[in-house]
Amino acid sequence: MISVVELRKRQREISAGDTTDMALFVRTSEESIEGWDRQRIVDALMRETFIDPDTAEAISREVEEIIRSSKINMVTAPLIRELVDAKLIERGLEEARRQHTRLGMPLYDVDQLIVHPNKENANVPHGPEATNLTLAETIKKEYALLEVFSQEVADAHMRGDIHLHDLGFIDRPYCSGQSLEYIKKFGLNLPNSISMAKPAKHPEVLLAHMVKFAAALQSHFAGAIGWDAVNIFFAPYLEGMGDAEVKQLAQMLIFEFSQQAVARGGQAIFTDLNLYWEVPKHFRDVEAIGPKGEFTGKTYKDYRTEAQRFVWALFEVYNEGDGAGRPFFFPKPLVHITEDFFITPGHEKFLHHICETASEKGNTYFVFDRGETAKISECCRLSFKLEASDLEDAKRPWKMRYSALQNVTLNLPRIGYISGRDDTRLFENISRFMEVAVKAHLEKKAFLERLLSLGEEGPLALLTMSQDGEPYLRMHRATYLIGMVGLNEMVKIHTGQEMHSSREAFKFGLKVIAHMKLLADKMSKKYGMRFVLEQTPAESTAYRFAKLDLRFHSPQAGHIVKGDIARGEVYYTNSTYLSNAAVINPIERVRQEGLFHPLIEAGSLTHIWLGEAKPSPESLANFVTKTFMHTQNDQIAFSPEFTTCNQCARTSRGLRERCPYCGSEDIDGITRITGYFTKISSWNKGKLGELRDRYRNQGFMKRKADGAEVEFT
Amino acid sequence: MGYIKIFTKSECPKCPAAKEIGGVLQREGLRVLYYDLETPDGLAEAAFYSVLSTPTIIVEDEDERVLAGWRGSVPTIQEIHGVIRAQ
Ligand SMILES: [Zn+2]
Repeated sequence: MISVVELRKRQREISAGDTTDMALFVRTSEESIEGWDRQRIVDALMRETFIDPDTAEAISREVEEIIRSSKINMVTAPLIRELVDAKLIERGLEEARRQHTRLGMPLYDVDQLIVHPNKENANVPHGPEATNLTLAETIKKEYALLEVFSQEVADAHMRGDIHLHDLGFIDRPYCSGQSLEYIKKFGLNLPNSISMAKPAKHPEVLLAHMVKFAAALQSHFAGAIGWDAVNIFFAPYLEGMGDAEVKQLAQMLIFEFSQQAVARGGQAIFTDLNLYWEVPKHFRDVEAIGPKGEFTGKTYKDYRTEAQRFVWALFEVYNEGDGAGRPFFFPKPLVHITEDFFITPGHEKFLHHICETASEKGNTYFVFDRGETAKISECCRLSFKLEASDLEDAKRPWKMRYSALQNVTLNLPRIGYISGRDDTRLFENISRFMEVAVKAHLEKKAFLERLLSLGEEGPLALLTMSQDGEPYLRMHRATYLIGMVGLNEMVKIHTGQEMHSSREAFKFGLKVIAHMKLLADKMSKKYGMRFVLEQTPAESTAYRFAKLDLRFHSPQAGHIVKGDIARGEVYYTNSTYLSNAAVINPIERVRQEGLFHPLIEAGSLTHIWLGEAKPSPESLANFVTKTFMHTQNDQIAFSPEFTTCNQCARTSRGLRERCPYCGSEDIDGITRITGYFTKISSWNKGKLGELRDRYRNQGFMKRKADGAEVEFT
Repeated sequence: MGYIKIFTKSECPKCPAAKEIGGVLQREGLRVLYYDLETPDGLAEAAFYSVLSTPTIIVEDEDERVLAGWRGSVPTIQEIHGVIRAQ
């Protein structure tokens, strides 16, 4: 990186008689100080833009004149560039100006960034490494908006019609789903890596490979890394191990992934562990890979006992929490429940076990794979439903690696404001916004293809490695996500009611998402790509859209946005959710929100906020079973709240003003922000507004007669 | 008596049979609504009733409560009459 603008006068002798050389020094990008040379301007213009040499020459003279007459004797390269840009604009050479743009940040902003924490993504701790990440992201973001995307797409993002996620990671795909089978079979053999490791012989070594590979993947993807059927694929390594050893392995797995954040100083590896009690149908008769990457001669159904012991041990560790009794933030455990779950021996005990964790710490995600669908959940909400071609992949599970290349979210309330309660206009505007999102996907795809085409010499070498005859990143299987924020508010703008207030309003919400789903299908056919709807986690997007709408659509937006305008804590309801504040029986919320889930292919989730209540595992197990049997809901999670004390390092239930153990006010809250647990002090204002509004279901939980246990009514 | 709702798709082998039954019921004076899952209205209504396969026939009472439903299969006229008479 260059040193940023810092003007300082320096003295230097000029050689007499050299009239073209001024008594002027230039701080260049190469961290050197050089004498003035007008030709450098001409060279840069000729190299970077398409203007003619005469114009370049003329501009360089004009800029020289400005500098000469100003009498300053130290300029920086960025200043010269800006002067040149001004001259380009005077001539109406807008495209040349764009091409000649310098990317970077004002001194003030950099100072702020280094000193103050970033609140856009609660997943990033503040620190020098994190600041480095943010600075790099800022430049890549500018680069993306200027160079990767067309002006139409970039403008739509800037206005807040849409949100292009992870612009700072423009040169990576969004998120991915992984199979342990790949490293079990091929070992750890990464491009540009110094050492190569053969397939693991022991479970600890396999775990080490998994962690290293995850770290390598994290630097190639913007978002989550999901691992499919972790306990099933570990199972062949666990034969003959005692319970204590299995527990130790479980501990290692969870601690390794939860502590990556500390090691890297930057973002935690957003890791999902997909787990099963039953061996799911699509893996049952698949040949198992064991130590040394060799087939064991058995199939995965023969390893059910080992797989179950491992997943049991994992939840023992989750249940205990970290050293201070706090829930582990990562890795997230996603337990898949299929019809076969309920006929697999021991399922009642296991369900109780994972519900204990759900009640105690909140970690458990319950994923429901009904009928013939099987899902591999990977991002915050992203899950891919297995299709015929995936089932074919499942026979060779190392092939099962999937990726979503990008996520683009529509600002649904914005569409509401500009459609003036007119149905035709509303649906037309949704289509228009969807088309912009699709255009954004085409542009990102083209850019990534350019990087991938550089192969082993390129920046994405890891994703082009082909140990099994096809590139690691299988572009033909990639998906392109289209998310939404604020359906509830859009419906309110358009119909006058929020979705939970009337059947008509609710059905109108369904119609909007049905329209989007049909459109996504149509566009998928047209472009031969897979566009799928997603419930955007929208940690910061729900806040950003609300702020921008207050700016552009007041006073109307003032009546629509959620939260507290005076405090600046404004937000829109995430994706297709019902209002956070609405008092609805939780099972009814799960049912109603679940009606949207079959339309949202990339996966959905309903949150059940628990506040400080700790419902009994039995009552949660009952709730989970009901959800599976009687609703279409894809996934649920129960979220308790905690207070953690920075003084005595103890953790208590509920969000409190002071530590109940030592009375200290030096405390922090912990609960789920969207797709993961984190400390509340790191939340942005929008999410804080939502936290204040969350209905914690207190009206639907009661203490049992004996007073000991809380259950859902 | 409320509505009889019939959900269909264009490429669905049993759907013509379901529509035919709808025609018969209409001629008998019953109120029948058709939903095409390839339109936003049809797909939204299908989602509302968790209709995941076509054809589906749902019989409702006046308060839009579901009395009976056949999902992915086509009932006989007699079966539908049976539900209506039991009302
Ligand atoms: Zn304390």
